Amino acid sequence: MAVCVAVIGKDNSPKYIRCVDESLALQFHCKVHTSIDIIEEKLNVGNKAATDIRDLYLNLLYATEEYKIYGYATNTKIKFIIVLHSSNVSLRDNDVKMIFKKLHAAYSNAVCNPFYIPGDQLNSRSFDLAVMEIMGIISPFQ
Amino acid sequence: MCELPPELTTKPLALIGLTGLDIANPVHRSIWDAFSNNRRLESSAIQFKLLSPTHEFPTVKPKRNSYEWYKPKGILKRNWMNKYLNEIPAVVVVFYNLDWNDPQWNEKKMECASRVQSLRNALDGRTTKIAVVLIQHCTQPPPGSEDTIATERATAVCGACELSPKLLYILPHGNHLLGYISRLESALYDLAQNFYHHEYRIVKGHKDQLNKTMEKNAHKQHLFVRHQFKMAFLNELKQDQNLAQKHYTQAYNHLLEIPITDINVMEITTVACFINYKLCKVMFNLNIPKDAITQFRFHTDRFKTWIGPKEVIFEHHAWMCSQFSTFAELFDDAIRQGLPAVQTQHPGYYFQSAAHHAGLRQAACKELCQNVTSYPDPDPLAGEEKLEFYGQRPWRPGKLSAEPIDLAKEVLAIQALQYKEKYTVNHSNIIIGLLGNAISQFKVYRCPRMRRVLVVQMAEEYYNSKDYGKVLTLLMHMLWEYHGERWPVLITNILKNALHAAYLSTSIQDYITLAFEALGPSTTFSEDFKSTVYNNIINILHKKPPTPEPDLPDDVKCPAVEKWVMELNKSEPIVFTIDNNNMSSFIEVKARFLQPKYAVNSMVTTEVIIRNSYSNTVEFSKITITVNSPGYNSEFVIADAEHNTLVFRGKEMKKFPYQFEAVQQNDSTEIRITTISLYMSNNKMCCIILRFSAVGRETNFLSQLYPEIQQLRRGEFETIQPLVSAEIKQEESNLNISAESNNPALLGEWLPINISITTNENISSAFLNVSLMSDGANEQSTELSLTMNNKQSVISIPIDNLEKDCIIHQTVYLRAHKVGDRDIHIKVEYSRSKQIKGSKELIYSLSVTKPFEVSTLFYTTLFESLTKGFINEPFIIMPHISCVSPWPINIINTSIELGDSIERENEDQTISVLSGITLSENETGTDAYCLIPRVGGEQPISTGVYTIKWKRANDNNALQTSSSVTLAPLSVEDAVIGLEAKLPAHGWVRTPLLISYFIKNHSDNIITLRLTMKASDAFMFAGQKQIDVYILPKNERKVEWILRPLVAGFVQLPSLSLTVPADEEHKLNKARLSEIVERSIPSHIYILPTSQTLEE
Repeated sequence: MAVCVAVIGKDNSPKYIRCVDESLALQFHCKVHTSIDIIEEKLNVGNKAATDIRDLYLNLLYATEEYKIYGYATNTKIKFIIVLHSSNVSLRDNDVKMIFKKLHAAYSNAVCNPFYIPGDQLNSRSFDLAVMEIMGIISPFQ
Repeated sequence: MCELPPELTTKPLALIGLTGLDIANPVHRSIWDAFSNNRRLESSAIQFKLLSPTHEFPTVKPKRNSYEWYKPKGILKRNWMNKYLNEIPAVVVVFYNLDWNDPQWNEKKMECASRVQSLRNALDGRTTKIAVVLIQHCTQPPPGSEDTIATERATAVCGACELSPKLLYILPHGNHLLGYISRLESALYDLAQNFYHHEYRIVKGHKDQLNKTMEKNAHKQHLFVRHQFKMAFLNELKQDQNLAQKHYTQAYNHLLEIPITDINVMEITTVACFINYKLCKVMFNLNIPKDAITQFRFHTDRFKTWIGPKEVIFEHHAWMCSQFSTFAELFDDAIRQGLPAVQTQHPGYYFQSAAHHAGLRQAACKELCQNVTSYPDPDPLAGEEKLEFYGQRPWRPGKLSAEPIDLAKEVLAIQALQYKEKYTVNHSNIIIGLLGNAISQFKVYRCPRMRRVLVVQMAEEYYNSKDYGKVLTLLMHMLWEYHGERWPVLITNILKNALHAAYLSTSIQDYITLAFEALGPSTTFSEDFKSTVYNNIINILHKKPPTPEPDLPDDVKCPAVEKWVMELNKSEPIVFTIDNNNMSSFIEVKARFLQPKYAVNSMVTTEVIIRNSYSNTVEFSKITITVNSPGYNSEFVIADAEHNTLVFRGKEMKKFPYQFEAVQQNDSTEIRITTISLYMSNNKMCCIILRFSAVGRETNFLSQLYPEIQQLRRGEFETIQPLVSAEIKQEESNLNISAESNNPALLGEWLPINISITTNENISSAFLNVSLMSDGANEQSTELSLTMNNKQSVISIPIDNLEKDCIIHQTVYLRAHKVGDRDIHIKVEYSRSKQIKGSKELIYSLSVTKPFEVSTLFYTTLFESLTKGFINEPFIIMPHISCVSPWPINIINTSIELGDSIERENEDQTISVLSGITLSENETGTDAYCLIPRVGGEQPISTGVYTIKWKRANDNNALQTSSSVTLAPLSVEDAVIGLEAKLPAHGWVRTPLLISYFIKNHSDNIITLRLTMKASDAFMFAGQKQIDVYILPKNERKVEWILRPLVAGFVQLPSLSLTVPADEEHKLNKARLSEIVERSIPSHIYILPTSQTLEE
């Protein structure tokens, strides 16, 4: 299961970051932050036609010895990042894609809250629950 | 300890020995230079080595027949590679000076043979090829021709040297040395290839032999690795990279089959490192970078778990580190050779991993080596450089795993290794160097954020090595870069490290800057920490050292505290200026003008809004604002502690209005709020100034992103839009200029333009300037004047004491000589009270049109239109004036100035018929004069100049203008005779009337004419019907008839015809004669009926 889930705004500032192990927060913040480099590069590549039809899912951004980092960018340039352990082989590419879809849906629900001001930090219980589910902290069937 | 030996890293080149060359000899020297210096890129991979005639080659080891009882002591011998690279040549070339026709042929031949023989002895047992090159000086025969002596003698040399003819070469020393040398070089290179192939076959033979007999040998894997490595290396010397790759791969696979223990781990990893290096390098050369990366991944994955003995685990980390950095360098080299790299796969990642392992090594060293203080004696590491095999331990060389180990020796050795690791290795430098490499790579591959993370890591390492200055430089810079994206956790981390470094280096300025930033909203520090930081700022203001940063070890803390006390107790006042342009702090400031425009001398209103985003109370002593305009720069104190309360509670916002008088300036200018400064502490000795730029960094980045959403944020501070520049304008001028005239002006008239100036304030002095706007076309033909007498290009009129609400009139006259539009520039410059100058301008446009057009008409005295005149025959000229001006024109008088050759018929008429007539637009007036030309000629003669004196009829004050027009010229011809009829204006029916014709002879000859009067039904006449008349020169003849009209009406007269006798036709043309008759004599006459009654 994911060890870190992050939502990054249009201005590349963090809107939401949650890691399984909060003592490693700094490390994960760094990793998520640096992966913006690759996301930006992927979003910049190609002409407009190519970006119009591109998949929101950006595949594996990069892998270190310990972690694999996956990216996803919405059409409004909100970026989702999921970090998995390198040893985690149970999740295939398609599974990761599904997780992102789930996360995107949860995000949409959260920002649809009329009291949420776009650009603010995400502070939503339902979104928290969705992320915790992705990280395997809680089970969807409880 | 994991450095790669040079023999491994150099590119293997075929070794060719050259002997018999004496460098002192210029001929030999040039040959040697050609070989050694002209190592062109495309030339074959050869290393040439100059050997002395008595060079000793390494001896050949005794041959072994079977591997059955051979027990290898290690894997790779330390000297083997070097032997093949630098000691055993593939080919040795014997150079010898010998011409075919040398006088001492036989002696020399024998000497050469003996040299070859001695060389052969020295190389006994080697398969090194020997070749002979004869250096010849005499000219060569042309190629293809048979040179029997040469063939014969060459065979003789080969025989004497026991040499195959293929190994004998001739080197003519002449013009084309380089060409010959490069041909010789490629021949030698082929020989070298053969040699290495041969050697390769030998090793392969050994391997095959080993395969068969191996069951009994416990260490066959060692030998397999060795043989495969040798085969690969020989192929590299042969420049066969594909075969080399295959054998290196096999060597690597064999190596993996050797079981690893704590004893041999060092050797295995060392050899693995070598083979992996060679493999990756070959793969990059073969342009299969993906295979190289895969091989490297496999290599590191395989070996990262073999950590070896725990006591020297740092060796493992060092090894891992060197694997990554070596691979990164190989990768980088390949990129420099043209390999493309991408953002996610480039050497930077490997440098980064290398740095990571270097960090682990440092940590392991810290943990393991802390108690080591002495180096054991005797040195267990002595002789490390001279071991027979790579990667073996100097204290137990040649031992393989099976044997028991000497424990005491082992302990000492480990102590020695730990001592060396602790005292001779500068871990920080290694880490910083690797990070530096990684940073530059990430910069190249467009990973700015990764670069920043690495810079922060680099700063941490500088911190470890206690170079606080560098830490601060790097972190301050990074802090600024990180601000853009506001990652609070990352910023907090940087701030924490930077605060430590600033504290330890007693850098007060930086410390305060960082402290201000730490109190800001974009950090995740705890409230306790923030209040400590705030207290520290207050402490510094009171010249007390701040409380030390948490988690500092005592050994660095104590000197720092002392240094702080010393720094703060210096006698000179301490003022810290913190520029908030590149830092952010817990104070947010906005400034604005309340209006975008101010009038001169009015009050400029400004407002400074300050918000404290720290959650506790903050106090300031003074607030100033700096306003800048092109001429000056002034700082105003807006508020100070004596008059205002400058205490900000947590999250409180305050507004400070301020007014000042706008300065007087002649032109309107822009003023700008440049900076706002906040002063902390009133203390003369220590003060902090916070300087904010009014334009500022946009502290609230979101407002740029979602301006339409800002209204959702309720905060007042966010909604205030800063306005940092305002305009100071002159008060709108109270002076008014107006101009009027009877536009359009007429050509040639002085048009009065009435200018009126009004003002609603008192003006002591002013100047009125009127000038013509230059458009390049009409300046010459336009005149300005005040009096109509003297023309001026610019009219300046001083005006004194312009009083309020009174009107000043001024008339300026303009005259134009060409039609078109004119612009008049009217400007009033004035000075008001307080030396303020002002001006007001007006541009007045008017057009100029023609008043009338004059055309000339010519008529005969019979009022028939005339195209040419005749000398002495009167005609009528009629100047025809048609008015085209929009204004009515009153004609005062007209006159005509005649040309030289024309006279008036009667001089009495002095007053024109047109005088006093007023013409409106499209009306015409015609004058008429009867003229007599006196002289004729080929060219038309000028008739005269017609002058019209006129004025506008619509203006009582209009001035008289005189316009002259040149009348159309007329061509005048000579007339030999003149004819004139005299007859009454009309006759009565049946009443006789007298007509007389005067015929004048203008010529100097006597003229004979025959007059014939044709009969007419309308008249009866008495007189000659036909008569010949003779007219003397310059004389006149009168002919008379009495006519009795029979009918009334406009009746045709009996026609007169004049003919010239045939013999006099040269004097007078017949055609012209009839023309004269036609124009001079009326053809008709009015005959009135007589009253019937009168008749009866």
